[in-house]
Amino acid sequence: MSRETEVKDRTNGVLRNPGWAGETGDYPHLTEADVRGLDYVGVRPLDGGHPGASCSYPYQLAVKNPEAPLFEGPYKERLEKILSRYPERRAALLPTLAMAQEVRGHLSPETMEEVARILGLAPAYVRGVATFYTMYNKAPVGTYLVQVCTNVCCNICGGDEVLEAFLQHTGTEPGEISADGMFTVMPAECLGACGFPTVVQINERYFENVTPEDVPDILAYLRSRGAAAGQGSERAPQAAAPSDVARED
Amino acid sequence: MAYPYRHEKETRVLSAHFGDPEARTFAGWRARGGYEGLKKALELGRDEVIEIVKASGLRGRGGAGFPTGLKWSFMPKDDGKPHYLLVNADESEPGAFKDRELIRWTPHQVIEGALIGAYAIRAVHVYIYMRGEFFEPAQILARAIEEAYANGVAGKDIMGSGVDIDVTLHIGAGAYICGEETGLMNSLEGRRGQPRVKPPFPAAVGAFGMPTTINNVETVSTVSHIIKNGAEWYRQWGTEKSPGTKLFNVSGHVVRRGNFELPLGFNLKELIYDVCGGIRDGRKLKAVIPGGSSVPILSADEIDIPLDYEGVAQAGSMLGTASVIVMDDRTNIVKTVRRMVEFYAHESCGQCTPCREGTEWLAKIMRRIEAGQGTEADLDTMLELGKNMTGTTICVLSDSAAVPIASSIKRFREDYLALMRPGSREGAVPAAV
Repeated sequence: MSRETEVKDRTNGVLRNPGWAGETGDYPHLTEADVRGLDYVGVRPLDGGHPGASCSYPYQLAVKNPEAPLFEGPYKERLEKILSRYPERRAALLPTLAMAQEVRGHLSPETMEEVARILGLAPAYVRGVATFYTMYNKAPVGTYLVQVCTNVCCNICGGDEVLEAFLQHTGTEPGEISADGMFTVMPAECLGACGFPTVVQINERYFENVTPEDVPDILAYLRSRGAAAGQGSERAPQAAAPSDVARED
Repeated sequence: MAYPYRHEKETRVLSAHFGDPEARTFAGWRARGGYEGLKKALELGRDEVIEIVKASGLRGRGGAGFPTGLKWSFMPKDDGKPHYLLVNADESEPGAFKDRELIRWTPHQVIEGALIGAYAIRAVHVYIYMRGEFFEPAQILARAIEEAYANGVAGKDIMGSGVDIDVTLHIGAGAYICGEETGLMNSLEGRRGQPRVKPPFPAAVGAFGMPTTINNVETVSTVSHIIKNGAEWYRQWGTEKSPGTKLFNVSGHVVRRGNFELPLGFNLKELIYDVCGGIRDGRKLKAVIPGGSSVPILSADEIDIPLDYEGVAQAGSMLGTASVIVMDDRTNIVKTVRRMVEFYAHESCGQCTPCREGTEWLAKIMRRIEAGQGTEADLDTMLELGKNMTGTTICVLSDSAAVPIASSIKRFREDYLALMRPGSREGAVPAAV
């Protein structure tokens, strides 16, 4: 069995089996970068790149700047590209809310009002939509938002225990920000990676095949990355990779 | 570079290049015969493409199994309106993890198939609606879309055909119901993802009020192979009514979890005990959900069945997304069903009373039973509730919530009763609110 397969590469060395179509063998020839497509994706520009790909950016990130301007510089360009893809302005709402959260970390009522203004929508309408979807943070969250799948496939393989371990090791209740500001832990519904239980989404990446024993290692890894993010809280201007790594370095 | 594990019984069409990072790139996909299907489709003409897909018997892979060619033929012709193809990449049925693999290993396979579909239904724009949590596949697909434009297979005058088709990736924000096709359209339009009443059907009034077809990622991925190789070629696998191959995504207590591409009609028992290597830790099988959490649960003695749409239906369940959830003899069925019902309660969009109220009631009763405070009458109450939740709402989320209740009470009644005997209450935790 390959359960203990270690995948070491330049992205990080601490995590086992990075998750793919199954734990079905040993994978000496594949690195985590191969599996996650890091080289293929490369660095995507903050201005959105091609308009067809302009609303595809991760919006749960470690670096959050609640005061940052929303629609300036490359983000303004990106918004224009997003708007160009739909026959109706309203259709840009979800991508625009996502971009606002990508910049600020959560969607305050004021942020939602700004989004409403730029799209010509009523603030109450925007709030009505934003509250329908779980991924929009209506309140601030920790540097790392840890979402543990506890739905059926993970559940029968120990998802509840993994959630409990994250709560215990961060000393938090579900949804709470830890004392050091680093973590918010929550149960999640099915994350669509049922072959790799337990699946944990931490900001913009998945950690697969997580057991309660892995939790201290994962938290230590995140703390070390989080400290780096805190020291240089300037965002890398040209960074947008699927892993949190590129955004923080 | 071969995919790490390949069972000899697999037939890899869609998954032929899983595990090969080079196949992700435009150049790599071209070198593997990619975009030949699109090229051929553009030469054949729109109606011929629909006829071939009809003849292949391909059925939608999103769960319902509706014939794809027939769905395409519902789209109007020469109506002067812009048409849209929406690719449903909102994969969120508990148990399903096939589309994520298709997208992250072979993004161009998805784009190529989507372009063929769009061409066939006279669509001017493909929107790929991907669930928000899939940041990693979204980055890969975004890159592939950029490559597709740069290489002239998307956008203006695709492959020199004079046909214009745009492709846009749209990402959601966490709502299971957006995988329902009309909820998906509302979400795309910037609304709450609440399903719409049908009729009008999307082919008449869909996204942005225009004729629209919604296809699953796996469905469109299959199309390019059918166009390239022909309907008869595709029919060499599977059964008369369920032709072709299918990704079976197996999770739970098997030795080898993962995606296995097999001909439809493959035996479920063989899938579990041979392809997936049997049950983990030398345990015994207790139950199987053959098609994602919205289909009835089967007991261990009901699994000697063919995995096609008809065969699974005959056994009292559904093939759904072919997401096989395997549970061993340690599995707490009551807890598992409680968790599934809580999921539906969380994901109910709240439009229809039977669903909004019914899912919560079911969850409350299940929590009470799990805590050792239920009675046998609760089972009847839940079955009655389930009946009132079935066929009474705009979409089938409500029906889906009733499914695990009814099927688990039917097959695992003893598991429920065991929690209701006096002795079982000792030490039981108090029921949650």
